[in-house]
Amino acid sequence: MIAWLRNVNRAVALAVGLGLLGMAAFVVLDVILRQLHTSFGGSEELAGYAMALATSWGMGYTLLELGHIRIDLLRSRTGPRVRAMFDLFAMSVMTGVVVTVAVKCWPVVARAIENESRANTPLATPLAWVQVPWFAGWVWFALMSCAVTLAALSLTLRSRGIETEPFLGPFAEQDRLT
Amino acid sequence: MITYVSAGLLALLTLSIPVGIVLFLLGFGIDQFFSSFPLTRGLGNMVWSSSNSATLIAIPFFVLLGEVLVRSGVATRTYAALDRWVSWLPGGLVHANVATATMFSATSGSSVATAATVATVAMPQAEKLGYDPKLFSGAIAAGGTLGIMIPPSINLIVYGFLTQSSIPQLFLAGLVPGIVLALAFLIITALICSLFPHLGGQRRLFPLAQMARALIDLVPIIILFGLIVGSIYRGWATPTEAAAVGVAGAFLIAAAFGGLDWTMVRESLLGTVKITSMIMLIIIGASFLNFTLSSAGLGRELTAFMEGLGLSPLGFIFVVVILYIVLGFFIETLSLMVVTIPIIVPMVLAQGYDVIWFGILMIVLIEMALITPPVGLNLYVVQGARKSGSLNEVMLGALPYVLVMLAMAFALIAFPQIALFLPNALT
Repeated sequence: MIAWLRNVNRAVALAVGLGLLGMAAFVVLDVILRQLHTSFGGSEELAGYAMALATSWGMGYTLLELGHIRIDLLRSRTGPRVRAMFDLFAMSVMTGVVVTVAVKCWPVVARAIENESRANTPLATPLAWVQVPWFAGWVWFALMSCAVTLAALSLTLRSRGIETEPFLGPFAEQDRLT
Repeated sequence: MITYVSAGLLALLTLSIPVGIVLFLLGFGIDQFFSSFPLTRGLGNMVWSSSNSATLIAIPFFVLLGEVLVRSGVATRTYAALDRWVSWLPGGLVHANVATATMFSATSGSSVATAATVATVAMPQAEKLGYDPKLFSGAIAAGGTLGIMIPPSINLIVYGFLTQSSIPQLFLAGLVPGIVLALAFLIITALICSLFPHLGGQRRLFPLAQMARALIDLVPIIILFGLIVGSIYRGWATPTEAAAVGVAGAFLIAAAFGGLDWTMVRESLLGTVKITSMIMLIIIGASFLNFTLSSAGLGRELTAFMEGLGLSPLGFIFVVVILYIVLGFFIETLSLMVVTIPIIVPMVLAQGYDVIWFGILMIVLIEMALITPPVGLNLYVVQGARKSGSLNEVMLGALPYVLVMLAMAFALIAFPQIALFLPNALT
């Protein structure tokens, strides 16, 4: 299951990356246009939205690639079983926090939908347009955290806890080698 | 509250909970125990407003720029070219390590990426030419740290964002100390290798024609750096716009050197998304913690705490320096910076110090954290690129450079103008 989730999130991350690349191109065009005394207008506002979306949708990928930084002080000094418990504990706490964050993001979106709020900018973007996909990204991250925790729990309950390191450990295997 | 946050921080980090998550947890705790009104109600808004930022999008752009340059093989060319230019100094190729790391840090903004790149390119050469592995690998680890000082620096963007200070000013302030550090690294290398010739390798003087030809490989990077930094300083572009232009430039250079293909682009984009989300989880957590700390009245408590300490401003700065050195042994750089900003920076400012100046001092101190054991990221990165030998060799080799950095930190305290004269002169 983890391998499948990794593939899905790789695709998501690639889409996010292409989006960032597109945004960079847009900003460059805007800089060039400004030299010609014209401008698209609002590129700064769009860049902000792009960043919010890239952040929320990239989180799941980083999770599955073991990219979120952890400080490995005690953990590496223990045996494989204790290490697995450290990992499971950290992952469960993380899931709790991420789910809380996702839940707390909902009122922001709900307000934007209810009041049909618009950004206080020249573009006057309806905030729901960007906040709904942004919120969906956090929900996605919360779902990914739950899925990883469940996968780890099921292995641990079948006394195969030490097999969780490849997807719960502090560093990805490829990072350790290169 | 200060005790609670400090103790909680260390305890949760030791449990190896992800750093960004620890910051959220501390924020929840402050909300529970120290605040009379519910602060988590503002959580959703904090998450939105701290990621909806046209300033922070400079981070993925600079990361992407570095990824493209590294993955398209530009690093290999730069290394070979710099070898032609600096290997006549006592210590030979060791200087090329420092110089390449400096040039890459000038464009890419990430220390670990810089160290990884130079290590991969340089290590095979060291074995071939029979260099002493200690100084050789230590120089790469140390040279790589310059990435967070010489602009554009991602760490300075994060510092500017969290302390609400001017990022162009921070970039200006980092330029001179960064270049001075690079030169000091070259000088100390030459000194060590003159005293103990067996630590360095053969000095090699290349014919002028070869040096001139090597310039072709260096010029594009120098132009790119000039473009990014120049456009920010002249006020033509914001750091974000300059970063976007830099990305375009990196793609052009990669294409010109024939390193542009779909695999490279895909891997660069994936790497960018991974690093960006990693940084952003920590930034969002720190913004939330910042918000809860200030809402719960950290300012008042800090003033009382400082008065209780009874230190002079200078004495206080020395305490801060020691604190960073000690914490730097154990905590990775970006995390160290982000978790300490909410508490340390208000105290430093209350003592009448300049926010820009302290940003630069902090960068020097966390640069040291990158190459001090047991948790020194660059040491591991360089060791990872070596085929043999022990981590101790890299640590020993990095030691002289740690001392240079320490000297730089004290120089900054004694003469704040090293950092401040450029931003003051140009604004």
